[in-house]
Order: sequence, then C-alpha cells, then structure tokens
Amino acid sequence: MSEVLWNTAASFTAQSTSITTFDSFAVSVVVKIAFALGLFFVVPIVGGYLEHKVMGRMQARRGPVEAGPFGTLQLVADGIKFIQKEDVIPRAADRWVFAAAPGVALVPGMLIFLVLPFGPGVFALDLELGLFYALAISSVSVLGILMGGWASANKFSLIGGLRAGGQLIAYELPLILAAITVAVQAGTLSLVGIVEAQATFMLPGTEINVWYVFPQILGFGIFFLAAMAELSRPPFDMPIADSELVFGYMTEYTGIKFAMFLLTEYGGMILMSALMVVLYLGGWQLLPGVPLPGCEGTGGLFDCGVTGTLLGVGITLGKIMALVFLMVWARVAYPRLREDQLQRFAWLVLVPLALLNLALVGVAKVVF
Amino acid sequence: MTGYDIVFILVALLTAGSAVLTVTSKNLFHAALFLAVTLAGIAGVFLVLRADFLALVQLVVYVGSVAVLFLFGLMLTRAPIGREALDGQNRGLALVVSGTLFVVLSSLIVSSFGGERAAEVAGPGIEVIGIAIFADWVLPFELLSMMLLAALIGAILLARREDGESGEPDDEGRIEFGDEPSTEAGAHELPRGDSQPELTSGGDR
Amino acid sequence: MATTSPPGVGLMKGLAVTIKHLFRYPATQMYPKERPDLPPRTRGVIALMDENCTVCMLCSRECPDWCIYIDSHKETVPPAKEGGRARTRNVLDRFAIDFSLCMYCGICVEVCPFDALWWSPEFEYAEYEIDGLLHEMGKLREWMDTVPPPPPLDAGAVPPAEAADAIAKKEKELEAEAAKQQETEAKEQEAAAPADGGDGKPKKAEVKVEGAGEIDQETYDQLIAEGKSERIARSKAKAAWVRKEKERLAAEQEAGGGDDAPAEKPKAADVHVEAGEIDQETYDQLIAEGKSERMARAKAKAAYVRKQKAKLAEEAAAGGGDDGDGGAASSEAAGDEAPEDAEAAEPKQGKLADVHVEGAGEIDQETFDQLIAEGKSERIARSKAKAAWVRKQKQAQLEEGGGS
Repeated sequence: MSEVLWNTAASFTAQSTSITTFDSFAVSVVVKIAFALGLFFVVPIVGGYLEHKVMGRMQARRGPVEAGPFGTLQLVADGIKFIQKEDVIPRAADRWVFAAAPGVALVPGMLIFLVLPFGPGVFALDLELGLFYALAISSVSVLGILMGGWASANKFSLIGGLRAGGQLIAYELPLILAAITVAVQAGTLSLVGIVEAQATFMLPGTEINVWYVFPQILGFGIFFLAAMAELSRPPFDMPIADSELVFGYMTEYTGIKFAMFLLTEYGGMILMSALMVVLYLGGWQLLPGVPLPGCEGTGGLFDCGVTGTLLGVGITLGKIMALVFLMVWARVAYPRLREDQLQRFAWLVLVPLALLNLALVGVAKVVF
Repeated sequence: MTGYDIVFILVALLTAGSAVLTVTSKNLFHAALFLAVTLAGIAGVFLVLRADFLALVQLVVYVGSVAVLFLFGLMLTRAPIGREALDGQNRGLALVVSGTLFVVLSSLIVSSFGGERAAEVAGPGIEVIGIAIFADWVLPFELLSMMLLAALIGAILLARREDGESGEPDDEGRIEFGDEPSTEAGAHELPRGDSQPELTSGGDR
Repeated sequence: MATTSPPGVGLMKGLAVTIKHLFRYPATQMYPKERPDLPPRTRGVIALMDENCTVCMLCSRECPDWCIYIDSHKETVPPAKEGGRARTRNVLDRFAIDFSLCMYCGICVEVCPFDALWWSPEFEYAEYEIDGLLHEMGKLREWMDTVPPPPPLDAGAVPPAEAADAIAKKEKELEAEAAKQQETEAKEQEAAAPADGGDGKPKKAEVKVEGAGEIDQETYDQLIAEGKSERIARSKAKAAWVRKEKERLAAEQEAGGGDDAPAEKPKAADVHVEAGEIDQETYDQLIAEGKSERMARAKAKAAYVRKQKAKLAEEAAAGGGDDGDGGAASSEAAGDEAPEDAEAAEPKQGKLADVHVEGAGEIDQETFDQLIAEGKSERIARSKAKAAWVRKQKQAQLEEGGGS
C-alpha cells in the first residue's frame, strides 16, 4: 500500500509528460477520477465564493462574512444545509424522471473535467478529439434540464424547461462554430494540442508569439457570450428568470437535488472558463512566448519540475477565476434580456458573426 | 470472452432494452426519453467498436439535438404534464412495419457478412476521416449539405406566417425597431387605431 | 429619441458603474457587532417620564391602535394654606404600552401636553412571546434614560420664551445674591469663629425627605438658562430640592446638637457635573443583570454623576465647616475635570448668566479629540465640544471682567 502511495506521489513530482503515466492502470484510474472529482467539487466552490464576494462589493454589500474566515466557508455551509433539507417530490410529478434530472444535468459536466488540461501534464486524458468530446458531452446536459422542467408537473417549470431548451440549442451553434474556428487555426482537436499550438503561433510575418485571443478576438467574444447563455446566467437567465418563472425548471427542487442543479451551474461556469483559457488564452502559459521555469518541450510547456507544474496549475486557475470574474461582472451590470431578443440575438447576430469568423480564419489559414 | 465482449453485451442489452421500452411505453415523454437512452447506447456501441469520432457525433447530433428537439416539441405541443399517459392507437400497424424492417435489414446483414469474422481494427483517426470527407468524397458531402440547406429553407417557409394570414397583429418589428405598422393592402387592422402605446426603445421619431 | 449614443456606450457605462462600486467601501453596518449609527430622532421605542404624566388620557384616546393602557386614582392634597380648599390630584397607577399593537405612529408623543412621552432610539426589545411586548411603567421609565438630549439650537437662534424669562430672572437674583454675599463675608470675617462641623454631623442618608413634586426653582431656572430641556431641568431641580431639604434637615439637627452652624451651606444642587465617565461598578452590575449595553451605560453615567455630585457636596461641606472659603476649596478639589462645577459652586465670583457668548459652530478641539478617543460618536463629541467651547469662552470673558 505504501508503495502504491509512493508511486502516486512520485509520478506527480517526477519529470513526466502526464499524470497518466502510472505503473498500474488501476491506480492511475483511481487517481485520475479523484483528481477530476476533486477539481469538480472544489473549484466551483472557490468560483462561487468569488461570485458572492464580487457581487456583494459591486452592490455596496460585504457578501458572506460569518461562515469561516471572511465567509470563505459559506458555500460549504450551504452544501451541508442542502443535504439536511427535506427532499420534496411533488405528488403529481413523474418520480423517476424528476429524480434523475439533476444527475443527467450534472454528470456531463463532471465528465468534461477529464479532458481539461490544468497544467503541464496535469490532465486526466489527452483525447485526440478532446474539444469535440467536451462540446458533445456538454450538449447532453440540456436533457436533464428538459426532464426536470417536464417532470415537475408545474407550469413555471415547464416554461422554464422550454426556454432552457430553446436557448441552449440556439447558443450551442455559435459556441461550436467559434470552437471549430480555433480547431481550424490550431489544426488539432486535442485540447493539449491547442495549448501547444498557441505557444508556437507567431503573428504572420513576425516573430511575435501571441495567443489565439489576439487573431480571434471576435471568436472569443462570441464564445464568451454563448457560454454565458449556455449556463443560463444573467443577463441570459430567462429559463430561471426568478421574477417571471419563480425559478424556472428548478422551481420544485429542494435539498440535495437543487444543490446538484446549482453545482451544475457553478461547475459549468468553471468548465466554460477553462475551455476559454485553453482555446484562447494560452492554457497554463503565463505570458505569450515566456516559458515556465523548469519546463522544456514545445514552447517551454512540458516536462516540468514540481515548481513549473504547480505554477502552471496556478496560472490556469487564475485565468479561470479572471473569466469567472468577468461573468459575474456582466451579471451585476446588466439586466435580463427579453426572451425574443435573446433568440434574435443568437440567430441574427451571433451565428452570422461566427460563420464570418470561421470563413475569415479559414481564408487566413490558407493564405499564411 | 474478452473485456470488450462483456462491455459490448452490456451496452447492447441496454440499447435493445431501452429500444423496446421506447415502443411499449405508454407515456409519450417517457418514450422520447427511452429513445434518447437508445441513441446514447448506440454511441456506446460505436465506442466499443473503437469509432470514437462516430460515437461523439452520435452523441452531439442524436442525443444532444434530435432527442432534445423531440422533447422540446412534445413539451411545446401535447405532452401531458406529470404522469398522465398519451397513447397511440396504431400499435398493430407499427409492429408490422418495424417487424418487416427488422427482417429485411437483418437478412441483408447476414447475407453480406454472415459467417465472416470482422478483423479487430482501431477506428480511423480524425485526420483520416477529415481527408476522406473533404478530399475523396467532397461532392457527395456538398450535395448532402445542399439537401439539408433545402430542407432548412423549406421548414422556414412552412413555418413563416404570410402577411395577413393570421388574426394577430404582427407588431414584433414595430416593437423592436419603432417602425410604423404596415398599412399595405391586406394588412390587418390595428385594434386600437392611433392610440397605440409606444413600446419603442430605439429609432428616432 | 432625442439623443442616441453609439451602440455599446451604455453597456460600457454599466460596467464602469459596477467596477467603481467594487472598490468602494460597502455600506453594510455590521449590526450585532457594531452599533448602528442611529439618527437622533429614531423611533425605536416610546419611553415614559412618569413624573410628568397627569393622567390626562390624551395619548390613550388618540392612539389609533388603542395600545396604551392607563390606570389611576384620585388623591386629595391637603390645602397649602390654612383654611384653603383641599385639591384632588390624579395619581398614575399603571401605564402600559402594548408594542405588539403599536404601529409607531408617534401620535401619543405628539399629543402629550406635559412631555411625559418620548421617542427613544432603543430598539432591542424583541421577545419570544407576543405577550412579552406589553411593557409596563417601570420598563417604560427605564427607556427614558436612553432618550438623547434634544439637538442644540442653531447658532443665533432666538431662545425659547421660557428660557429667556428664566435668564432675566436669574440675572436679577444673582445680583441680589452677590450683594448679600459680600455682606455675609464681611460678617464672617468679623466673627472669625473657628468652626468644627465634622463631629456631630448626622449622616445624610439618615435624613429622609419626602416631597410631592416640589422643585428647586433656582436650579431649574439656571438649567433652563443653560439650555437644558425642560424635562431634564425639572428632574434635576427636583433632585436638587430633595438634596437641599436633606441638608436643611441635617443642619437643623446639627444646630440642635448645639454647634454653631456654618453661615453658608454649600448646595449640592449647585454642583454640576458633566462628564462622559461612567460608574464602572454600576455598569458591570447592570451588564451582569442582563441589561442591554446602552441601558447599562446610561444608568452608569447617571450613577457616576450622582456620586460625583455627592463627593463634591461633601467636600464643599467639609470646607465650609473649616472656614468661609469652602467654595474655593471645592473648586480646587474638583480640579480641571469639571471647571464649570467650580463656577457653579462659587457663584459670587462672577455671573455666568450675565455673560453672553455667541458662537458660529466653533468647537473645543481638545474636548472633541478626547471624546472621540473615548469612543463617543462624532455627533455627541461635536455637541459636547461646542458646549465646552462656549463654556471656555464665557470663563475667559469673566476673567477679563474680573481683571479690569
């Protein structure tokens, strides 16, 4: 047993290309699952705390202050509270569908964490189809929302579920189109490969290394807006719209099931931010063209020592939190859009822009 | 019996079971959900066959879009909320059609590959598929996309309301852009004449 | 639309507003940990000055919720003069307000003709049972201690009519007193009799004084002149009357003992103590009894003032027994802490009321800083510092007058 632990520890610190290099398949699977799950549960809590505090200060409040030092344990306390609550299922509800819905919404988010690279070698899987995998899996979670909306036997829930379905399908298109554009430019669908491609991407005709956010600022904007809409976060929160629909498809949910829906939202926030970091912001690179200390390989991105690895993870998480901050900022600053404006914006603005972006990048890719 | 066989059998059982439940379920919404499970199970079968890309396409197209559109349409139209059942009366006919299809397809497969054991191959990589589609088979691919585009435009045309077709005033554009309502021939009458409340947020009148 | 800005400007403005607020200090008041900074007219709870109540029942009748309960009985007061007519007087037995019915409209406070009802900023009187919100006279009287003094008049404001009258009256009195004082001093110097008042002096506490609302007019007028509220002046004057009465009785007893009475008795009522200090013992005891912090502080302050006054009076009495220069001794004993006490105890030196000082909001910076350092609120510190400034100014003028 101690040997196993030692191997586990050693493989994290050793100069390995990935934490996937374990002596034992079983150990590697366990470690990877623990790693992805840990990230899935811890990082959203940090993001949620950030949201509470930033939103509070922007509204001239303090945010949570009582639970833990500076209120840091507020979401943990909330989680404990949710677990203790009574699990109410409405009498007219479809029991099984009602109970399964939060899980169907939550699990795809967990699965995507498997392919997200958080640092040099810090990822569970480097799929050749990583980006496509992430987008495909995330499209499943809308099923859970529709199930919840229908099974609650509540008109507010039904309308919320309908709105969510329409919104998520509408905004998935610009999201995927923007992501495809990045894949076209990078020439790969692997998320690690995209980070690598950004480290070596030079502005045409120069030796200046830039991230994809520079040539694809339009795509980044589209992806950011579509991601916020996919997460049904304000100002795109018509499916929840607490002033019109009580709480949309979550109206009838209580306790741990409600917490799972909330975790889906916060986890999704982290997930979309992580995708944006990988696609547009150079992954775990500190600055374009600056290799991490102790790292070798392409663009100074791989084969890192302990310092480089930890620093890389820290940089990724920092970038994720910066994007979360942007989302919170937009949430505080803007009111909710009207439902028809939302659809109009997706189909008449974002989709044409995303297509234009794709065409431009395609042409540029061939020319340069 | 390798690990692959076991996983394949499990996935196949799941797929077949949910397929049966899809047609036997009395609740329309449940049937659609079982259909989603069936489609996801087929993605699992692809995965077992090492066709990663196909599996993911199956997931994003069929589970993430087609099944969702089914559910969406059901919720929008006549899905009874909660546990009420909504059942069709064409079971016999459906049984005949699907049975015939099953016999035809399985006899076709058996006659083509019967007794031949497929070689274990890793699915082709994404690059190979991409080159195949966009170099060797580009003409069929473009034709297919043309067909889909035609279908799309047709659907929009069908759904589009012509001027004056409905009794409801089509004042969406007016709300959005602050234009005067259409007064062309055949245009609907405004219910309240000139005293329409201004809902404009933009434009300069 | 009259003005159209380019698209996106409004969006940017929204972001700018929110980011500005991110770096601003939050407006939150951390209530249970910090006291809320309540405005002086906060409608927290209704307090009762039961001495002022005449059982006119106006409040009870005007109350829209009928939440004020008053019980009383009539008493016959014997005629003041021989052969006069006996009068009847209402005595308050019960005064209760049911705060579970009260809607805090304040009509009772407005309607009270005798200033018996007051708004107090005290608000922490929640109860677990709704019955507990029916508060009786004792509780209402306790809240009276938390009523803040009315805000000072604006600089240059016309003083209220009764205050102006009182000032004029006081001036006359002081003149007469000064003349009398000189006479007495001259007599004393002639007599120069060694006094020994320490032995046979009975303790004050042994003397019991019962009064029926009499007040010491002199103290009352003086306090009014100093700008105190009528309520405070009345209660202090009442206390002063009791104290004087006690001293008079004690002096009578002393005289009965055969000693020569000191010509001039220092008057405890003259001793005026104003300080932010509290009596720690009382404070601790009240806190231990579970009183609210605000209540304990107010009561402890009152206790401190009482003790201080008693001490000063005793000192003055001791000094007065020794020689005729008791006032000076007491002023020295009081020290810098309360210079106005010395003045009050030594009215012969100058006429405070004669001196009129007009300020335009100047404050005594030293006092202000000290009070702020003691943790007082800015408002209180400012008003006290202003008073201190006026006091100093008066003193300076007096000294000038004495020198020339």
